[in-house]
Amino acid sequence: MPRLIMLAALAVFLCVGGFWQPHDPDAVDMLARHSGMTAGHLLGTDHLGRDLLSRIMAGGWRTACVILSVGAIGFFFGTLLGTAAAVLGGWRETVVLRFCEFFVMVPTLIVALAAAAIFGLSPLSAGLALGLAGVGPHALLAHALSLRVLGQPFILAARSLGIAPLRMIARHLLPNTLPLMFAYVGNQAGLAAVAYASLAFIGLGADPSKPDWGSMLFEYRVFIFDHPMLMIWPGVALALVTLLLNGFFDNGQA
Amino acid sequence: MRLARFGIQSIAGLLAVSLASFSVITLMPADPVTIAIRAWSLPATEETVAALRAEWGLDQPLPVRYLHWLADFLTGDWGRSFRTGEPVLAEFAERLPVSLSLGLAGLALAIVLAIPLGFFSAAHPGGIADRMSRALSIFVQAVPAFWLGLVLLWVLGVRLRWVRPFANDWTAIVLPILLIALHSVAVLSRVYRRDLKETAGQPHFRTALAKGLSERQALWRHGHRGALYALLSAVRSEAGWVIGSTATMEILFGLAGISQFLVQSIAARDQMVLQAYVMVIAIWMLVLNASANLAMRLLDPRLA
Repeated sequence: MPRLIMLAALAVFLCVGGFWQPHDPDAVDMLARHSGMTAGHLLGTDHLGRDLLSRIMAGGWRTACVILSVGAIGFFFGTLLGTAAAVLGGWRETVVLRFCEFFVMVPTLIVALAAAAIFGLSPLSAGLALGLAGVGPHALLAHALSLRVLGQPFILAARSLGIAPLRMIARHLLPNTLPLMFAYVGNQAGLAAVAYASLAFIGLGADPSKPDWGSMLFEYRVFIFDHPMLMIWPGVALALVTLLLNGFFDNGQA
Repeated sequence: MRLARFGIQSIAGLLAVSLASFSVITLMPADPVTIAIRAWSLPATEETVAALRAEWGLDQPLPVRYLHWLADFLTGDWGRSFRTGEPVLAEFAERLPVSLSLGLAGLALAIVLAIPLGFFSAAHPGGIADRMSRALSIFVQAVPAFWLGLVLLWVLGVRLRWVRPFANDWTAIVLPILLIALHSVAVLSRVYRRDLKETAGQPHFRTALAKGLSERQALWRHGHRGALYALLSAVRSEAGWVIGSTATMEILFGLAGISQFLVQSIAARDQMVLQAYVMVIAIWMLVLNASANLAMRLLDPRLA
């Protein structure tokens, strides 16, 4: 239960961050540069006097968009491909599995890197690229889970009762595989957040005016001598998100 | 026979990667001719545009262009970089050693460290090595290597003054390798430990214990080989992660590797560089995959 509350708090923080921040995240205030932690700026300001908390909140919403789109794409296409392969069998199963095994070998970050180089880095393009590159493992898992369920006696019973295939998938197969798939997707969501931060840190085609945790870390790395807290906070936010997601879904899976 | 099959599969995979990346990169919204005219400050007349289009074969259909590119690529003509004007192959040849040594050293260090860590955490479940590797595997999932690198630079460089942050000395080589290895150590040691534990549940392991071997001896003599096999098969997927981390490390520590070159080139929409980068990564994955398979085959005589 406390895990659920923490996850809900995280979701609220990320969503609120998208629409409301204590200050305008891009408002430059040269009089309040490096203000440190004050009542007006809870986490202080950066070298241009921009409020750090507001920038982290705005970046959190962009990270949340990536997590959601990566999860949705992996969950949807992975379940679709994996289940279809398990149900259809024969050469179609072989083709899907070979394709997925090939895709598992392709480094996700490099696919996203190439996509960012071509289309520019935005939560949408990164989410699409990371999501599509991650379909392989999801499909393999869905296939393995479906095979295990399809071997159960109740499937044989349903089959001998003459239930239509689609109905059987919807009523008997998916309810048994989807919870595990969901847990896996949640488990991978933390990886998506880290991957997006890495892409933004590398900075390929990123829009520098948009606050992303990764690009903030890149921008603030030069202040390591005088204002190290600038590069501590975005990293803490990223680590918290990943830890919470992993902790919550690991527990659900076991 | 299996070797021939593996060779055919690898070549088919490389061709598929090259075709996919070529199509996507050619569909890039930017027109290379306009970029070249701007980059090399050529006169933007109709003749120059037409001449460039004809020279690069841009007036031909996509399949023909792909075949042209493939033939050029195989004969070592990887095109010219718009930004530097140098041949892409030469630029890569200059930077590849940096990225390769980072990736290979990181991976090798990870394997060397993962074996003892995994072994002692399997020999003493709940002991200090076990708890360390478990904590490490949670830690590396949540903390990206580049942020850990920044924090390390702050602690070691600014607080303790042991190293000079962002300096171009030996720390800029050693720290990235350690950071790259850290993630793989966590993953590989868990894989190694899990396989050892599985062996410990088998009848032949109990026979070894009954023979009078200590648990540690029995694990080493009867479990190590199988666990090493599992570890090598995990190395294959870890290779992709390692090459991804070299990219962030090159940016953070300012090392002149291929990823840094890509980042510098991409502002100029350097399509040939991006294409070559994708191909180099594909070959890296292929070579590591093949070496891991070869080592696995040497370990397991049933496969040979």
